[in-house]
Amino acid sequence: MSKRKRPDSNVPPSQSMTEQEKILYSLIQSKQDSGIWSRDMKRETSLPDNVVDKSLKSLLSKGLIKEVVNVQFKGRKHYLASEFEPSPELTGGKWYNEEGRLESEFINFLKDQCLKHIRNLKIATVDMVADTIQRSRVLKVEYSSHEIGDIVRALVLDNDVIEMRSNGVGEFASIPTGRMCYKCSRSPDAAKEARVGAMASIPCGVCPRIAHCTPGGIISPTTCEYYTSKIRTMDSLLSHPGIRPVTCA
Amino acid sequence: MRGVPPCSSRSKSRSGSRSRSGSGGSREGGGTMVPPSQYGIKYAGHIISSHFGDLVAKVCECLLRRGPLTHQNIVRFTEMSASQVKNCLLVLIQQNCVQAFSVEHPGGVGDTSRRSTEYLALFDNIIHRMRFPKFVAVVSQELDKECVELFQGLLQHGRLTLEKMIDRAKSGQEDSTAQDATREALSKLANARFVEHCPDPEPHLSPPSEEAPARKRTKSSKMVAEPETIEERVLAAATPMEAKRFLIIFDTTTEEDGQKTGDSFLGVGEKRKSDALESNKELGSDGEQVLWRVNVQEFMHRFRHKACVENVRERLDGGAAVALSAMLEISKSMEKKVKTDNSVPLSINTIYEEVMKGEAGRAMTLDHLRASLVMLGCEKGVDESYKIDLKNIIEQAQNEEVESIVLKRYGQEAYRIFRLLSKANCLLETGKISDTAFVDKKEISKILFRLWKDQFLHMEKIVVTGPRQTQFLLWKVDKTTLWPHVLDEMYHAVLNLNLRVAYELEKENELLNLPIEKRSGPLEKRYNRLRTVRLLLESSLMKLDDAIMLFHDF
Repeated sequence: MSKRKRPDSNVPPSQSMTEQEKILYSLIQSKQDSGIWSRDMKRETSLPDNVVDKSLKSLLSKGLIKEVVNVQFKGRKHYLASEFEPSPELTGGKWYNEEGRLESEFINFLKDQCLKHIRNLKIATVDMVADTIQRSRVLKVEYSSHEIGDIVRALVLDNDVIEMRSNGVGEFASIPTGRMCYKCSRSPDAAKEARVGAMASIPCGVCPRIAHCTPGGIISPTTCEYYTSKIRTMDSLLSHPGIRPVTCA
Repeated sequence: MRGVPPCSSRSKSRSGSRSRSGSGGSREGGGTMVPPSQYGIKYAGHIISSHFGDLVAKVCECLLRRGPLTHQNIVRFTEMSASQVKNCLLVLIQQNCVQAFSVEHPGGVGDTSRRSTEYLALFDNIIHRMRFPKFVAVVSQELDKECVELFQGLLQHGRLTLEKMIDRAKSGQEDSTAQDATREALSKLANARFVEHCPDPEPHLSPPSEEAPARKRTKSSKMVAEPETIEERVLAAATPMEAKRFLIIFDTTTEEDGQKTGDSFLGVGEKRKSDALESNKELGSDGEQVLWRVNVQEFMHRFRHKACVENVRERLDGGAAVALSAMLEISKSMEKKVKTDNSVPLSINTIYEEVMKGEAGRAMTLDHLRASLVMLGCEKGVDESYKIDLKNIIEQAQNEEVESIVLKRYGQEAYRIFRLLSKANCLLETGKISDTAFVDKKEISKILFRLWKDQFLHMEKIVVTGPRQTQFLLWKVDKTTLWPHVLDEMYHAVLNLNLRVAYELEKENELLNLPIEKRSGPLEKRYNRLRTVRLLLESSLMKLDDAIMLFHDF
C-alpha cells in the first residue's frame, strides 16, 4: 500500500448517514487505497444485500465513496473512499490505462528507445539509459530509473539484450566494478529473432498435437499436414527457375 | 493422450515424470535402473527393426522395457522360440547393443546359490547407430582413406578381430600389402582412440554389498553416496582397464626360429619391451584374436566439445570460440570421462600457444585472448591460469533449445514468462510474473495454465486463511522433470521424421529405382528435386540428433 495521510475518520457534520451507511463507510475507509469488493462488504458486515446496495448508492451520491476498476477482476464492483487514489494492485500500475489494459504499444515504444540507446552506448547501466532517454526529451511524462530498469529487464527476457556484471576492465572500463550493465545480444543487421533451435525448426517441435501423434494413428507422421505443407513448400522453392537442386551422379 | 496434472490446494502440483516408461518388469539383477523414456524405447525399437528386422527388435524392446532378463525370461515374455531368442541376442551382442553378465542368486534354505546369465540392453549404443555418418565424418577429417574403410567395416560388423579385418581387406590385394595396411590403419585408429578392445563378454556382478563402496559425489562438501544403476555396474565390470583398452599386439613370426614374438603399441605412444609379452597375455591381449569395436566415448567427447564451441560462437563471438576451442584441445587428453564439469586450469601462455596454431587464432593478440577468456566467464586462478565451466555452457545451450520451442509453440509473451522463471529458478507468484514480464494481467493466467498443462511449468497453490480465504498461484520451471520430458518429445520427433522420410522415399520408389539412362527431362528434374528434399529432411534429422545429444548431455 502507498503511504498516504490517514484521513479523519469522522464524518463531516454536514453529511448525515444511517447506521448502516456509517458501518459501510467506516469499513471502506479502513481499506484505504486497496478499497473493498461489494461482496466482501456484505460478508464482513453481515448486513442484508439490499441494505448494502442501497447504502452504497447513497454514499456514492453523497460523494463519500467512488467505484473503481479492479484490473484483475473487472466484473467486480470495487469501492474506495473518495480521498484515496486506487493502489497499483487495483490499477495495474503505471503501465496500465484507465480501462485496465496493459499499454503494450507504449511499452514496445519504450523498449525500442532503450534498445537504441544501449546499442549506441555499446555497454550501459540502467542509469545511463534512463539519463539518455530523459535528455532526448522523447517522453512527455518522466519515468524513474527504476521504471526504465523494468523495461530494460524485459528486453533481457526478450533476449534482445544481455545482462552482465562489470569487471572494470576492457569494454567495462567506464563502469564501476560489480555494477549490472547491458549490451545488445545481436547486431542491428542480424535477424530479428534468435537462432531457431533444432526441435523448433521442424513441424513436430511446434505441433500442438504431438502428444496425440502416433504411427498408424489418426494423427501420424505419414499423414501429417504440417509435414505435407513443409515438403510442398520445399518442392515449390526447388521448382523456382532461380534455384538449382542437387544433381546426382 | 497427455492428461492434465492434478493440483491440490495444499501441496505441490508436479508436472510428473510422464516421459519415463515406468516399466514394471523383473529386476533380477538387482539395483535400480532408470529406464529410457517411452519414445526413447520406441525410437530404439525402430532403429533395431530397420537394421536387423522385427524379431531382433522384439527381443531388444523386451529388454528395454523390462530391464535385464535371463534367456528363459526373454523367451517367456516375447513368446518366441529359444533358438530365435538366442540368435537375436547374438546379433545384438555382436552389434554392441546388448551386454551379457552373470549374477549370483542366493539359494533358499538348504540350497546353494546359483549363477545365471542375464542380458542388458544398451540404450545409448542403440541410439548411437544413427550417428555413424557423423563418426565417419570425424575419422575422414583426421585420418586417411584406409583408416576410414577399416572404421566403416567395424561400424558395419559391430566387432572384428584383426584377422577378420585383414581378411576383409585382402580381396583384390596381395596378402602382405593388405596385412601391413590393415595393421597400420588399426594402429592409427587406436592411437586416436577411435577404436577400442571389446568389453568382457560376460563379467560377473557381485551383490552390491560385496563390491567397493558406492560412488560418492565429489562436487560439493556433502558426501552423498549415490547408488550405481545396474547398467553402470555392468559396464564398469565389463570395460577393460585403461592400459589394455587401446593396446595393440601384432604377432610376427620370424623365419629363423619360427617363434612368435610380439610388438605392442600403446595408444598414448609408449613403448613396451618385448619380454612384456607374458604380461600382455595376462592382460588377455592375444594379438590378432582380440576383438575391436568403435570407441563411442571418444566421439561423444568430441561432439560435446564441438557443441560448447558452437554455442559460444553463436552467443558471444568468434574470439571466444577460438579461446574455448584451444582450451578444450589442450585438456582433451587429460579428461578421463565425457561429462567433465570443468576444464583443467591452464596458463594464459599455454592457451595462447594453442590459439596461435589455428588460422583463426593467428591474428589474436594476448589482450584479445584475455578479453575473450573474461567474456567466457573463465575462473581465473593464480599465475593467470584459467578454467572454464563446461557444465554451465551445456546448460545454457539446453536452455536456448527449450526457449526456442516455447517461443515457436506459444509465442513471445510465453517466451518472456518462461525465461523469467528459468532464470529465477524459484517459485514466483502470478502477479509478480505479470509485472516483470509485462504480460497483461488478464492474459497471464491463460498463458501460464497452457504452459503448465503441457508440462513446461510446475505450479503450487497457496491458500491464505484469514477474514477471507485468498488463493495464490506460484509457478516455477522445474528442470528435473522438464528436461526428460523435452528429451522424450525429441525422441518422438526424430522417430516421426525418420518415418516421414521413409514414407516419402517409398512413395517414389519406382522413380528412385529407375536406371539413370531412363531418367531424362521432367523425370530427371523430379528425381533431383526428390533427392534435395530428402537431403533437407535428413539434414533436419542430423540437427535434431545434435539436440538429442545435447539433452542427453552426450
